[in-house]
Amino acid sequence: MSEPAARDPEETRPPVPQPHPGWYPPAAPPHPGGYPPTAPPHPDWYPPAGAPTPPVPPHGAERRQRLHPLSPALHGAKSLVVVIAGLSWSTLSRVGVGWFVVLAVVLALGATVLAVVSWYNTGYHVVDRELRVHEGLLWRRTRAIPLERLQAVEVVRPLLAQLTGLAELRLEVVGGGKTEAPLAYLSVADAAALRQRLLALAGPQPEAAVPAPDTSLVRPEAAPPGQPLHTVRNTDLLLSQLLTPQAFMIPFGVAFVATQFLSGDSWSFVAVASTLTAMAGVLLQPIRRVLDDWNFQLARAADTLRIRNGLLETRAQTVPLHRVQTVGATWPLLWRAKGWLRLRLEVAGYSTGEADGRNRPDQLLPVGRQPVAEAILAEVLPGVRLDDLPLTAPPPRARWLNPLGQPVLGAGLHERVFAVRSGLLTRQVVVVPYARIQSVRVVQGPVQRRLGLATVHADTAGGAGAAARDRAVTEAWALAAELTARAHQARRASRPR
Amino acid sequence: MTGDGPAGLPPAAPPPTGPPPGPLEPWPETVRWQAVSTDLIWVELLRLAVLIVILLAGLAVGWAVSGQGAFGVALAGVLLLTALRTVTVIRAVRAWGYAEREDDLLVRHGLLVRRLTIVPYSRMQFVDVSAGPLERAFSLATVQLHTAAAATDARVPGLRPAEASRLRDRLTALGRDRAEGL
Repeated sequence: MSEPAARDPEETRPPVPQPHPGWYPPAAPPHPGGYPPTAPPHPDWYPPAGAPTPPVPPHGAERRQRLHPLSPALHGAKSLVVVIAGLSWSTLSRVGVGWFVVLAVVLALGATVLAVVSWYNTGYHVVDRELRVHEGLLWRRTRAIPLERLQAVEVVRPLLAQLTGLAELRLEVVGGGKTEAPLAYLSVADAAALRQRLLALAGPQPEAAVPAPDTSLVRPEAAPPGQPLHTVRNTDLLLSQLLTPQAFMIPFGVAFVATQFLSGDSWSFVAVASTLTAMAGVLLQPIRRVLDDWNFQLARAADTLRIRNGLLETRAQTVPLHRVQTVGATWPLLWRAKGWLRLRLEVAGYSTGEADGRNRPDQLLPVGRQPVAEAILAEVLPGVRLDDLPLTAPPPRARWLNPLGQPVLGAGLHERVFAVRSGLLTRQVVVVPYARIQSVRVVQGPVQRRLGLATVHADTAGGAGAAARDRAVTEAWALAAELTARAHQARRASRPR
Repeated sequence: MTGDGPAGLPPAAPPPTGPPPGPLEPWPETVRWQAVSTDLIWVELLRLAVLIVILLAGLAVGWAVSGQGAFGVALAGVLLLTALRTVTVIRAVRAWGYAEREDDLLVRHGLLVRRLTIVPYSRMQFVDVSAGPLERAFSLATVQLHTAAAATDARVPGLRPAEASRLRDRLTALGRDRAEGL
């Protein structure tokens, strides 16, 4: 994504007098404000190399825009946190509080200066059906993001951004190892307008799919636009996160630290503080989940799902429905008494690059009862119901591999989706629409070969796909053939769109 | 190549749904498997040999310097493992196979864990053709098909250059015809 591979507007313009030395603008000094004041949007930014391409329609081009002027300040404040974390507790104990503060402030100021420089050199604009982001002072980089490959758009507002009325726009594109082009930060109105525009451009019918203007971002507490589907009650969310293994661990962790602190003199303040910090990373996951999913609201507007959640950092996520790759339902053991389950969706953009799972905004329903889940699923994948998926268990000899879990395992071909079930304690059902299957694999390990079993994988662009484990070999081959055929038909059917 | 399908059948056939699949070879009547070049055995063996020689040299030096018997035992163990590995390399290369059907490419490989990958041409994102120095010495190349799914595992090693470029061109042409993406 680092080079503007596709279109080169230079080809269509009258020749520029200066020769192009390469990546950099020619010797002529940059425009006073960095931006050309008149119609040709970016005379000198692109390398002349590249195949001749069709001319860019003039209506697609526009002036390059800067990020919000307050962004460097926010980046600086954010880096203060990073700096403090980097300096760590041991530095604090070694240099004392005064020097620690001085050190942190100096480093954060340095980061702010860098942020100002980078802000000055960063710009974005929409050209034709691409979003182009220019950045970098020494290493200039222009990313052209083809909007037809846009998978989801997210407007994220961390606490500081909420206080200053700013927002970050994140785009998810296929093939990006991580979130492409986080535009941090824009004013809320700009972010909403840009999101609207990008989604309209990315949609299958650019003209028809423009929903009503999104004004909700101005009032963060308002419901997302469109038809509201579901709102998770915060008490349910709290209770559900208390019913997780980590929540049960917290008292033990606290008791451990407290006894160490009270009994042994060897533990200094720094040691306790470090231990607490380390433990927080693991044990506070339920709290983070609560913070992330607070005020969870789901709505549908035209062909997109709108998800809004977060307490300290609000996220407003927009996912076109035809971009949903898989939907997974999970029934954790401790939630079964309440009849709760969780729904997740996978979109191609959220890659495995962000490994901690925290930044994967894949929640479709953080907690809810079965009927709610069914209603949401019916919106995402019409005609699919969790309670009447045609799941069949593998043959009894699969018990050798799954002594207890054999009856739980299941796979089946629904009219529109491939569904698999697994997990004895934490039950999971994964549903993959046939049209989203990228490839089918049959894998047979040595023990499976002895038992005459095989596992069938349906790979999707986002997430792990679905795996029907330990099917009888003949059934596995039939399943693979059927999956391939149905995926083919589904693609054929969905092509004339 | 193990268990060839009946020769002479055209590789292009409608996606099989009706006929009952065999226990080991799926759809024998519609899929014609192609083996990869047996020269790949030499490439793999040479790769193994380089590793083993380094390992053996290290162990021999260790034995000569320290004079401990444990090094001798380790040497014998490495030699034994090498012999076993040689056999599996030969069999594993024979087990590689690929087949082009009308709508998808099949790749199968693996001895201990057997894998079959079915990739529709329409889902192809790009094709890699690569040839390392050892492969080039035997004039072989590897073609790898990538889809948007990271888990897709469609690599065909040990192709003659002509066959590799034919496959690449066919795949890209078919992919362009039917491109569907996500």
